[in-house]
Amino acid sequence: MVQHRRRNRHRQDQETVEGSKEKRPKFFINDHVDILVEILKCLDGRSLGVAACVCRLWCTIARNDFLWEHLCFRHVSPPSSVRSVVVALGGYKRLYTACVRPVRGRLGRVRRASWTCHEIQLSLSLFCVDCYERLGVVGGSNSSDEKFVGKSSPSSLMFLCKPVNV
Amino acid sequence: MLSRKRIMKRDHEEIYGATGYGSGSGAKAESSSIGNPDKGKLWEEEQDAGGMDELLAVLGYKVRSSEMADVAQKLEQLEMVLGTAQEDGISHLSCDSIHYNPSDLSGWVQSMLTELNNPATSNLDPVLANSDSNSSILGQINHSEPSKAQYQQQIVVSNQSQVYSDDSEYDLRAIPGVAAYPPPKSKSDLESTRKRMKTSIGSSGSTGYGSSSSSPQEIEVSGAVTESTRPVVLIDSQETGVRLVHALMACAEAVQQDNLKLADVLVKHMGLLAASQSGAMRKVATYFAEALARRIYRIYPQDSLDPSYTDILQMHFYETCPYLKFAHFTANQAILEAFATANRVHVIDFGLKQGMQWPALMQALALRPGGPPAFRLTGIGPPQPDNTDALQQVGWKLAQLAEIIGVEFEFRGFVANSLADLEPEMLEIQPPEVEAVAVNSVFELHRLLARPGGIEKVLSSIKAMKPKILTVVEQEANHNGQVFLDRFTEALHYYSSLFDSLEGSGAAPPSQDLVMSELYLGRQICNVVACEGMDRVERHETLIQWRNRMETAGFSPVHLGSNAYKQASMLLALFAGGDGYRVEETDGCLMLGWHTRPLITTSAWQLSNTELTRELS
Repeated sequence: MVQHRRRNRHRQDQETVEGSKEKRPKFFINDHVDILVEILKCLDGRSLGVAACVCRLWCTIARNDFLWEHLCFRHVSPPSSVRSVVVALGGYKRLYTACVRPVRGRLGRVRRASWTCHEIQLSLSLFCVDCYERLGVVGGSNSSDEKFVGKSSPSSLMFLCKPVNV
Repeated sequence: MLSRKRIMKRDHEEIYGATGYGSGSGAKAESSSIGNPDKGKLWEEEQDAGGMDELLAVLGYKVRSSEMADVAQKLEQLEMVLGTAQEDGISHLSCDSIHYNPSDLSGWVQSMLTELNNPATSNLDPVLANSDSNSSILGQINHSEPSKAQYQQQIVVSNQSQVYSDDSEYDLRAIPGVAAYPPPKSKSDLESTRKRMKTSIGSSGSTGYGSSSSSPQEIEVSGAVTESTRPVVLIDSQETGVRLVHALMACAEAVQQDNLKLADVLVKHMGLLAASQSGAMRKVATYFAEALARRIYRIYPQDSLDPSYTDILQMHFYETCPYLKFAHFTANQAILEAFATANRVHVIDFGLKQGMQWPALMQALALRPGGPPAFRLTGIGPPQPDNTDALQQVGWKLAQLAEIIGVEFEFRGFVANSLADLEPEMLEIQPPEVEAVAVNSVFELHRLLARPGGIEKVLSSIKAMKPKILTVVEQEANHNGQVFLDRFTEALHYYSSLFDSLEGSGAAPPSQDLVMSELYLGRQICNVVACEGMDRVERHETLIQWRNRMETAGFSPVHLGSNAYKQASMLLALFAGGDGYRVEETDGCLMLGWHTRPLITTSAWQLSNTELTRELS
């Protein structure tokens, strides 16, 4: 929604530029990356993903983890140590797509205001469990490796991926 | 009887194809001789408006499609009554009887039944007195009253009590069959009185779980031949569900009374009945029937199976349903709160398995304001059959994760056959000033009840470790009673709820996860029902029982805070089909249940003041 408006404005700007070249200065959003970032910060997750498909510059910017961090913690200010942990575990974009978005989606109908920080905590815990599952087994290259866990695809978050059975 | 229904459903070929218990084949011979008496044969051609069933018409039987379900039931009644009346002889049928043309199946069966019910009254008194009053209204298809259903259930119960003095091999009166009470055509009434027993009415082959509201409509017989078969199965599955439960209970009673012959017959019968069900009821019944069979035939399951196999099953259980996740998250929250100010922490896990509980705790510790403490984990596990060090592998993985998130981590693994073999000195526990100790047990403590003195030894070992907190997660059921029948009944209720919840959460095609989870639970069922003595390790007890035990041993409860409650509620809301799960708080302990039935409980304990003062003195 927001993005459409912005895009339209961009086009309008261009048209007005075309219309009266001498009077208005040219304005291309791609020249002003900081403004672009500010705009992208306002988007929701899906729109941010769509924005990444616009052009290469937008793709680079939209993939910046900083934007996704802003998306995850928009309403809550997390403790400062979160960033290092999340980055180590795979980054905010992964956190968002794997945990925060499904959690928020599922809880959308029963959400209460006080739950937001709990949501984050829960998402982080689930994220951590998922990362743990993805870790390979280090040490011990004997034949009993297959028996250990034996899971090629970690699936502790599968319950989030299944369609909600309303 | 059941195979006959199946044949009606599938082939429409032979009405009397069933040779169930010997009496069935007798019915065939007799009916053919009776069906053509020389005197008093009234031929009544019924011209009906609606279609005759085509396939049956080919064979020479005229049955209205609209009456197919009714005819099937009456045929079943007929067989039951013929079977039970066999002892008295049914020679009275060959004289003074007016029988209709057997090709008019509906009318013929009805006349047979009215004839047979009268003489057979002396045999099954209270039961058939009821059916007598019903025989006149057999023609009414849609007659159903909930009060009647319950009255018949009472009849059923009183009939059961007369049964097991008889040692006859074919005495199946323990299972009040169709002759005992004509099938009540009540639909949702029956279902509402049996909430636990969700016989999910779906189409015969597929596993589509239709909602119960749609079943009343499906009972109405529709026109086409293939469609009409489905209602036959539907009505039967409701009623066979009732009979299945009764058969299970009767079999358990027989085992309790050591009447193994009767139990044997019942177990075989249960197998057939269970096959007619679908969904959770079928699975529960199958597992319980198998466990009973093992108990009767003394084929005990070997418990010395691969522990890694059990681990794999538990992993699937972990993923499919929230019970283990709930356990981990609530226990972690309690431990986190207990470790609030400690700089060095030590967690002792009585059942490490794959270590799925600890990543979340490590992450929460890493994000603690003030930085993470030094985290030491001691994992205890069973010996592996091929001497692989599964514990060490899990420890490696946890160490990797700890390095990633920046928590100082140390791991030690201990292999022990039973927790009672542990000595606290082996664990090298530092005094409380140096490190805060937490002991965690998820579904482990109940196993110690199999060995006399086991639990007391372990609790005193725990006290010697001087933990800041002890978190215990256990099943909320009493499967450790003295009387086998009580244990059986409790287990039946408990695992029915558990399987119901699995059905509710699964996707439409049963995934491998679901199947493995059910297998995991099935092994528990087998252990509860079939094993005895030291082998029976699944000795679940309720919270009240554990509380008594803990308080006697010198522990006092720690209340799990509201954070744990909120997290748990949110976790459950995430699960598809999560509407059925309920979190309850009882005296500071959190219980996770399915609808109204609590299934697992998390509780936290600390050394009571008396214990602490005793240490100091």
